Amino acid sequence: MKPLNLIALLLFLGGAVWAFTQSDRAVREVQEIYFSAMAPFLKSGSKMETQARAFLTETKHSKALEIELEATHSELGALRVKNSLYSDLERENAQLRHALDFKKTTNFNVAAAKVIRRHPTTWWQTVDIDAGEERGIGTQLAVLSNEGLVGKIDRIYKDQNRSSVLLLTDEKCQVSARVEGSPEVGILSGQRGRFDGNPLLRLRFLSTDAALRQGQKVFTTGRGGIFQANILLGTIDSVEKGALDSEALVRPSVNFADLGTVFVVLSADTP
Amino acid sequence: MIRYSFITILLLLASFVIQQFLPAFTGIHHSRILLVQLVFLCAAVTVGQPTMLLLAFIGGFFWDAHCWLGPHGGDPEVYTQQVESLRFGYSIFLFAAMGFLMQGIQPLFKQGKWQFSALLSGIAIFLYLAAEYAIINFVRGEFVLSKATVMQMLFTSLLTMLFSPLIFWLLFRIARACDHSINPEAGRKRRRAY
Repeated sequence: MKPLNLIALLLFLGGAVWAFTQSDRAVREVQEIYFSAMAPFLKSGSKMETQARAFLTETKHSKALEIELEATHSELGALRVKNSLYSDLERENAQLRHALDFKKTTNFNVAAAKVIRRHPTTWWQTVDIDAGEERGIGTQLAVLSNEGLVGKIDRIYKDQNRSSVLLLTDEKCQVSARVEGSPEVGILSGQRGRFDGNPLLRLRFLSTDAALRQGQKVFTTGRGGIFQANILLGTIDSVEKGALDSEALVRPSVNFADLGTVFVVLSADTP
Repeated sequence: MIRYSFITILLLLASFVIQQFLPAFTGIHHSRILLVQLVFLCAAVTVGQPTMLLLAFIGGFFWDAHCWLGPHGGDPEVYTQQVESLRFGYSIFLFAAMGFLMQGIQPLFKQGKWQFSALLSGIAIFLYLAAEYAIINFVRGEFVLSKATVMQMLFTSLLTMLFSPLIFWLLFRIARACDHSINPEAGRKRRRAY
């Protein structure tokens, strides 16, 4: 081997080991620098994309009407989400009043956002939304749609008013879940290598004698510190019993192939 | 030579910008064009080992910055079996491995037979994706390989490979502009024929 090649190889290995041993925080800083450098290109790119889309749709709808419709749609969706959460809370509250005789109210404050980019990476199930830290969004916040839980915020693009959402269909997005009408609780996550529009989710660590039936609703438990309680996740599709535990396949309530407007839960204050 | 190497680095960085705007083709098994990997693989066959390693480091480092997912977070008492993230920097090794593979047929490329390199770039992309997926399985446990995943890898490789002649054409143009020959043996043959 030529001496120059050997030196280059040693330098390469040194650099690669240095990168490999970086902490999560250091990697986040690297990502921030990377996406800050990309920001001007992404901004002008998405501006061009928006202009092209608007040009194409202008023939069908007037722009003013479109904006008004969009605003109304976002508002309606937000109200629907709030309404469904309030009704869940109302039911929960009534249950608790009866059972434990204590009062609990929870207020959800959500921010509406539009999905601007789908799956920018090869293996991970992520989407980008047009809301960032300027609107109070931070990492690990739950993201909902009218139909249920969409995922959680994985990354914020600094000063770009954008963030990345890790979808519920990704294997890495784990949610503590319970099955309605049963004592069963487990961990729900996506399946590896499933990229179809609406792949089934896996609900693991159920008891061996889990008596579940198709169509039973699955909700978040609220445990784990990320997702609020009683958010709809999906319905039971099938159950596989194992020697040590059971596993259920869950059909997600959200249509992931058609994500338009989503809502980031900014806070769930308990007064 | 130095000017050419410098421009290939700039080309690789530019490919990261373009990659941001290349969506997945949902109709073709969610496959996508991996422009960054393609530019790296095509450039790798035209440069020496030190430059290839530099390109592999830059490519792998920024690719991981582009794709890396943060930790799960949440209460570890509830999420006892968290899904592992791939360590930042693994792509640097993958890029280098694919770079060495491309350099294996550098003699053919130097003779002017760039078509073999174009074909190998497709194979290298497939091996890159297969290795990446194998690492995911190894780190997270449970080997899961669906037909959809294989099709996704296959079509991604094919789609990406289709663009390799364009990248080689660009590299030849850059080399000419820099007064540098990336296939000297083919040039000598041509001169002898005249």
